[in-house]
Amino acid sequence: MWKRIKRARGLWLLLIPMLLWIGLLFVLPHVKLFILSFQERRGGAFTLDNYAAFFHKSLYTKVFIRTALFSIFTTLLTLLISFPAAFIITKVLGKKMKALLLLAIVLPYWVSELIQAFTWMVLFRETGVISYALQYLGITDHNIEFLYHNSTIVVGLVYTSILFMTIPIMNSLDTLDDSLIEASYDLGGNFWSTMREIIIPHAGPGIMVGSIMVFMLNLGNYVTVTLLGGKNSLWFTEAIYNQFIVRFNQNQGSAFGVILLTFSVIFVWIVLKITKQDLTEAM
Amino acid sequence: MSQEIDVSLVHVTKRFGDLTAVDDVSFDIPKGSFFSVLGPSGSGKTTILRMIAGFETPTSGDIYIGGERVNDVPPNKRRCNMVFQRLALFPMMNVLDNVTFGLRRRGGMSKAEMEKLAEDALARVGLQGLGKRKINQLSGGQQQRVALARSLVLDPTVLLLDEPLGSLDLKLRQAMKLELKHLQARMGTTFVYITHDQTIALAMSDTIAVINKGKIEQIAPPEVLYRRPATHFVASFVGENNKLLAGRVTRQVDDQVCEVDFGGIPMVGRMGDPLKPGDTVDLFIRPEMILLRPGKHEDGILGKITEINFDGSHSLVTVALTESSRPLAINVKLQHTEQAPDVAVGDIVTLSWRWDAANAFHPVDQSHIEKEA
Repeated sequence: MWKRIKRARGLWLLLIPMLLWIGLLFVLPHVKLFILSFQERRGGAFTLDNYAAFFHKSLYTKVFIRTALFSIFTTLLTLLISFPAAFIITKVLGKKMKALLLLAIVLPYWVSELIQAFTWMVLFRETGVISYALQYLGITDHNIEFLYHNSTIVVGLVYTSILFMTIPIMNSLDTLDDSLIEASYDLGGNFWSTMREIIIPHAGPGIMVGSIMVFMLNLGNYVTVTLLGGKNSLWFTEAIYNQFIVRFNQNQGSAFGVILLTFSVIFVWIVLKITKQDLTEAM
Repeated sequence: MSQEIDVSLVHVTKRFGDLTAVDDVSFDIPKGSFFSVLGPSGSGKTTILRMIAGFETPTSGDIYIGGERVNDVPPNKRRCNMVFQRLALFPMMNVLDNVTFGLRRRGGMSKAEMEKLAEDALARVGLQGLGKRKINQLSGGQQQRVALARSLVLDPTVLLLDEPLGSLDLKLRQAMKLELKHLQARMGTTFVYITHDQTIALAMSDTIAVINKGKIEQIAPPEVLYRRPATHFVASFVGENNKLLAGRVTRQVDDQVCEVDFGGIPMVGRMGDPLKPGDTVDLFIRPEMILLRPGKHEDGILGKITEINFDGSHSLVTVALTESSRPLAINVKLQHTEQAPDVAVGDIVTLSWRWDAANAFHPVDQSHIEKEA
């Protein structure tokens, strides 16, 4: 039966919409981006100037490194927050609480990222909820601006990515047989050794998938970073945006885009190698 | 005779909400013995094991391991180890790392020493040289052995086994059954084995505790359990039986033996409960202990063969009692020996048995027994 299904040539037709989607909206634009990045702004002759500009102007390299480090840091922080939550939801709580907490994690994502960012602004700005609350409690006597700090960006990014970390980890923890945990305790293991030797290795693929997704989302984030970080956010996506929209320098913007893409692919590959995870296995 | 006691349960009760899973259970397990807890699923036997291991706390009562009260001792501090029903081997580690897991937790030993001990343990269960294998590269029987080695390497006071042979096919189960018994005899570790499979319990144990609905029905060596069941439940649960319902005691022969009337036919049996003439009883007769003779004889019960089922080593012969006032049939297990009578369906035969081949008990509410057995 299955062989007959596999042999049916019509089955491939079902893949066409997806292939079109990827081909037209992902591959094609990236090929164009790649070509643009090696062309002069005027005339379109081959040049490496766009890349040279990135390495010569220390502002760009600094912003890039800053973006990369912040993305890594935020990903780790998200992991640190999400893992215990995922563990408690899948392994500790009863069915009812599990459903409730899962809902609590998913619910915020019914609202668009833009609205989420605005709600943060309502909380954090100089005349916002937190500032007033602190004054009301007598902790301070003047307005405090919480927006436009590095920490605000981190808070916002962690918030927008918790779901994408928690769900894959929950999936992998779900398949962990509870008797493995009991066996570990039975053989003399304690909480930490069981975590280290049994639970985290088992959840490894989930942790990897979550981390890759969150890292990519952070690296490519624009809305949250710009709204919470303001003009000082200095996120690399903003530099790309500026080249394309403000300076009409598509070629420079394309080069930045290619650099960002290359970095993220190489970085993820290195991390997978170091942790001895297989991407196909992890996914 | 003073015997060292390794595990002791004293009036242990465990409730889950309204459900009493274990109801006032007490027993002592002597050092170095093979102790089985036998009961149908849902009888509370797994809860007992999990309480000894430390995964559940008794609602009331005390548990002692090696003389020490362990109610408040967490599982990782108890001198007992468990072989889990689904084995719970760690798939992220190879065989050797699985076996050294407990030693590594304990510490105070070099890596080489641990691996030496682990190799020894693996050799003891017949798995020498397989340390580098991954768990999923092993067969079911080999995984059983790894689970055993992983616990035994820690030299526990008590080894708890939660029906680990249940998942094996029949042949392998028979082989592992013997191996486990030999291993236990060789090592002298106290084994506590939980099972619903009476053939395993009867074959391996020094002592069996039969449990039903959270209560201990009988604690006895296998032979005593089989020949002199203490309760109606034990008689119907352990071994094969002819079960004749609702007869009447006509005569008490002595303090052990009584005569029971079933449909006008007198039968002899051992009194499982204290009985007196006039009592209603159920009678359990072992099919292999019934003597079947062809033709009519004065000193037995007359019947006609209605069915013969060949089963290799023996045949199961169904005999309908011809002189009874209500339809009654008795199964007889006929060994294929030289002396075995040559019988066919339709033959008239005479059945008889010694008093201790049958056990009589007051009837109990049948509904739950049928459901659970």
